[in-house]
Amino acid sequence: MFKAQQQSKFEPSRDNLAVQIQRLNYFFGAGDLSKQVLFDISLELPKGQIVILTGPSGSGKTTLLTLAGALRRLQEGSLRVLGQELVGLGDRALVNIRRNIGFIFQAHNLFESLTASQNVEMAVELTGDFASKRQQAVAMLSALGLDDRVDYKPQSLSGGQKQRVAIARALVNHPKLILADEPTAALDKKSGRDVVNYLHNLSREEGCTVLMVTHDNRILDVADRIINLVDGRLESDSSLNAFVQSKTKDSLTDISADMFIM
Amino acid sequence: MARISVAWANLMHERTRLMVAISGVAFAVILIFMNLGFMGALISTATNFYEQFNADLFLISPETLEISTSTAFPRERLYQIAGVDGVERTMPLYSEYLLWRNPETGVSRAIFAYGFNPNDPAFLMPELQEENARHILSRPDTVFMDRFSRPEFGPQDIGTTTEADRRRAIIGGTYFLGGGFAADGTLIMSDQNFVRYLAPRPLNLINVGLVKLNPGISPDKVAETMRSLLPADVDVYTKPGIIQHDSEYWLESTSIGFIFSMGVVVSFVVGAVIVYQILFTDIRDHLPEYATMKAMGYRSKYLFKIVLQEAILLAVLGYVPGLVAALGLYHLTTKATAGTLPVAMNGGRVIFVLSLTLLMCCLSGLISVRKAVTADPAEIF
Repeated sequence: MFKAQQQSKFEPSRDNLAVQIQRLNYFFGAGDLSKQVLFDISLELPKGQIVILTGPSGSGKTTLLTLAGALRRLQEGSLRVLGQELVGLGDRALVNIRRNIGFIFQAHNLFESLTASQNVEMAVELTGDFASKRQQAVAMLSALGLDDRVDYKPQSLSGGQKQRVAIARALVNHPKLILADEPTAALDKKSGRDVVNYLHNLSREEGCTVLMVTHDNRILDVADRIINLVDGRLESDSSLNAFVQSKTKDSLTDISADMFIM
Repeated sequence: MARISVAWANLMHERTRLMVAISGVAFAVILIFMNLGFMGALISTATNFYEQFNADLFLISPETLEISTSTAFPRERLYQIAGVDGVERTMPLYSEYLLWRNPETGVSRAIFAYGFNPNDPAFLMPELQEENARHILSRPDTVFMDRFSRPEFGPQDIGTTTEADRRRAIIGGTYFLGGGFAADGTLIMSDQNFVRYLAPRPLNLINVGLVKLNPGISPDKVAETMRSLLPADVDVYTKPGIIQHDSEYWLESTSIGFIFSMGVVVSFVVGAVIVYQILFTDIRDHLPEYATMKAMGYRSKYLFKIVLQEAILLAVLGYVPGLVAALGLYHLTTKATAGTLPVAMNGGRVIFVLSLTLLMCCLSGLISVRKAVTADPAEIF
């Protein structure tokens, strides 16, 4: 009875939520060896928001990201992604959820044997759209400034270019949710900025939600919201300004994005 | 546009590894072909003397294992079927081992002797077709000697005199036949001489009944008719039938079949291990990519297909050079043994080894694919 009531209370806002996490606990290991890594997390990410997840290493950021990406099975609590409850879903359904999510990894994980375009086309093939896959791949690579590297294999691309190919692969199907783990860690300042700007435009134009784990202070300015995770607990959840204030403890009341672009 | 073939691209990307894999498969294919080739050649040498018998149908006792281990049966059986439609003539053939004494060393050795009526055209060897040969064979204590007999039997020159089973024997002529597996050498003599050497053997018990049919008559049909006429103490075989009967004996009741089948199995395992190693290394190197594909929404089934495709590609790419090399080695073996080991390829073996190669590669693929399927996308973050 209580549960039904609670659900009806959330119903109006639910359509606007890309990710909704309620009372989530997560453990590694089993039995006596089990260790809790996430404690009672409740979090709502509205559509179109760019959310940065920070925190010291080992705080459970990546675990939270993989849970939201339907890459791990839920243990306790509730997790809704793009309107779909993940608890109790089978492997097949989880795979279907993943197809609507763009993943950007720290390592590029490109097939060395395939060209940049083919690597991106692998993602397009999932939609069954074989006729225009090449055009879509080329368009996406061009948007990331790789129009002259379309038919290069990863071994003849620089680290930044490889990462941009990986990002093109994640974005080519226009996912509604993008999960990124340190996407700029391997990039120089300019490429990192380009990638972040691109994610920013995508979220503004297509209303897609970005959840990004990063330690890179240079890109904090694009965030609508910054969540700090410490030892598996939500420490703070604040807007950019509030976050900066709390960190700097300065008299600054407002801050410009420029100060993060170093 | 077609789906991107990740399997093909992965194989082509690592050229060195691809060459090693192809060589491995080709090596296994060659070994399998050589084992089957030797087995086939040995079996055919064990039975190819039947080609020199001038008969379309063969009557033997059901107790006969192969030509040299035969049980005699009554000659009346030949008379019973002599009147069947299509039969041109029937010819009795006697056979038994004799002790042949080497005139130079004095050592006696078992030689396989055929006895037949010199007036019957029982053999196809050209040396026995001459008019003169019939007269020589009709002489007492005169035999024809097989030129393929082992040298331990002594000189094979015409006119050589020695002893067989303590009776004088004169070589009156020679021919080329070969004794297969059972006999180190053969003799051919008239039925009259045969009973002299092997007394008290009666002529009304024969070892093989040879039946010559009129041209254009189907041996299978006549054999069917004969089986319905004859009692159970005699079996009727066509020429391919009796060759198969003897081959099966050598394959199944002796160690020959086992030895070479073992060779095939070992080659198969060697090939499977090589392919497994290659595929496993390939999967291990691409594990982050496979895991990424799973994160993107590819199912395990797709990864499964990639690995299986790689396995099948390796099988085909390795089989073709293996087949070509095996053909070369077959030719070389036949030449090196001066034709006594006729290693020859046949269509059935080409297809059999291809299936075996595909099976070998797919099996390795299935064992190594587990690693790709269990790739955990959560691990790569």
